[in-house]
Amino acid sequence: MRVRPRLLDTPMKRRADESMSLLVDLSAQSLDPGYAEAAARRAQSPNAQAPGAEPRRGALLALGVLAATLVIIVAAVQAHVRAPAAARTRADLVTTVDRENRAVDALARQVDDLRNQVGRLRDAQISGSASGAALAAQLRAEELASGAVAVSGPGLQVTLDDAPPAGAGAGTSGNRVLDRDLQAVVNALWAAGAEAVAINGERLTAQSAIRQAGDAILVDFQPLSPPYHLAAIGDPVELETSFGASDTAAKLRDYVQLYGLRFGYSRESALQLPASAGESLHFARPLPSHSARGGTG
Amino acid sequence: MIVLLAVVAGVVAGLVLQPTVPLDLQPYLPIAVVAALDALFGGVRAWLEQIFDDKVFVVSFVGNVLVASLIVYLGDKLGVGGELSTSIVVVLGIRIFSNAAAIRRRLFRA
Repeated sequence: MRVRPRLLDTPMKRRADESMSLLVDLSAQSLDPGYAEAAARRAQSPNAQAPGAEPRRGALLALGVLAATLVIIVAAVQAHVRAPAAARTRADLVTTVDRENRAVDALARQVDDLRNQVGRLRDAQISGSASGAALAAQLRAEELASGAVAVSGPGLQVTLDDAPPAGAGAGTSGNRVLDRDLQAVVNALWAAGAEAVAINGERLTAQSAIRQAGDAILVDFQPLSPPYHLAAIGDPVELETSFGASDTAAKLRDYVQLYGLRFGYSRESALQLPASAGESLHFARPLPSHSARGGTG
Repeated sequence: MIVLLAVVAGVVAGLVLQPTVPLDLQPYLPIAVVAALDALFGGVRAWLEQIFDDKVFVVSFVGNVLVASLIVYLGDKLGVGGELSTSIVVVLGIRIFSNAAAIRRRLFRA
């Protein structure tokens, strides 16, 4: 192979557009031009090297090669050492998340147990007198309405599901149940006279939020997966007629036709809804004279 | 001979000492690696073409590492460090590839 005779012959001559012919230079001068220039210099003065320069040159070369090899090996070692460390960290995190999730579940169960216990003890304490019994009844009604206790009763079960994957509009968001669909159904159920509503076992309260986060629908920060079962407790006949006649139901029937969503509802004689996961008051505090005022409501 | 010894010494030193790169220098490691590979391939090609010069080899290696690091450092200060780092890897990568091709042509005459 010829080694750029142009450079060897006239090492100092430059093209006018040298600084601009970037890609040409890249492929044409892949070898450092310094080699050719050094060779040319050596050819011009073969005996110019001072005596004793040879070992020093050798040491220099060895040092350069050593440095280059070291850099490559260090990079390889780094890549090797870091990959398992990252995997280990990830596994640790997964374990931690699992453990904490289990702890949260256990604590939630404990909260439920304690709540039931508190409710029973409270009822036992205040049910003795007539005013106490009235208060207990009022409390139970409030608890039912606020979703603080598990409830059961007849009602309506609404089922919503994404369109089957092969359906029309597959791959777009058109064939999926969205948070606003669930919101509309829940609102229609409340409007139809529902006394308690839950989606896939998540009890809805006045503070509940139904929202989309990426591909998942969150109810009170709990991710849900389709199909979505909405259970509403109330007068089954009233619920069915009112909900069936609502704009939301009509819209969803249209969606069934247009996008292949699956939507249905049926009366149920016995539905069981859990208590809400926990309504936490962040700012509101009971009045200091809570027990004294409680009686007057 | 001395080159082979240096390669072995470099490998052994890297594996035995396992030096950790300081966090501040980590962005420059990929550049140093491609600069080192570029210098090695260029050196082998020059040696095959019998115009190898040890001073050119060392100076071009050290110079390329320094200049590339300087460019990336400047890019970091200007907020385009990642892009400049990529560009350096691309440019040196093309050089490595064409040098490897030249070595292949010289060795196999194909």
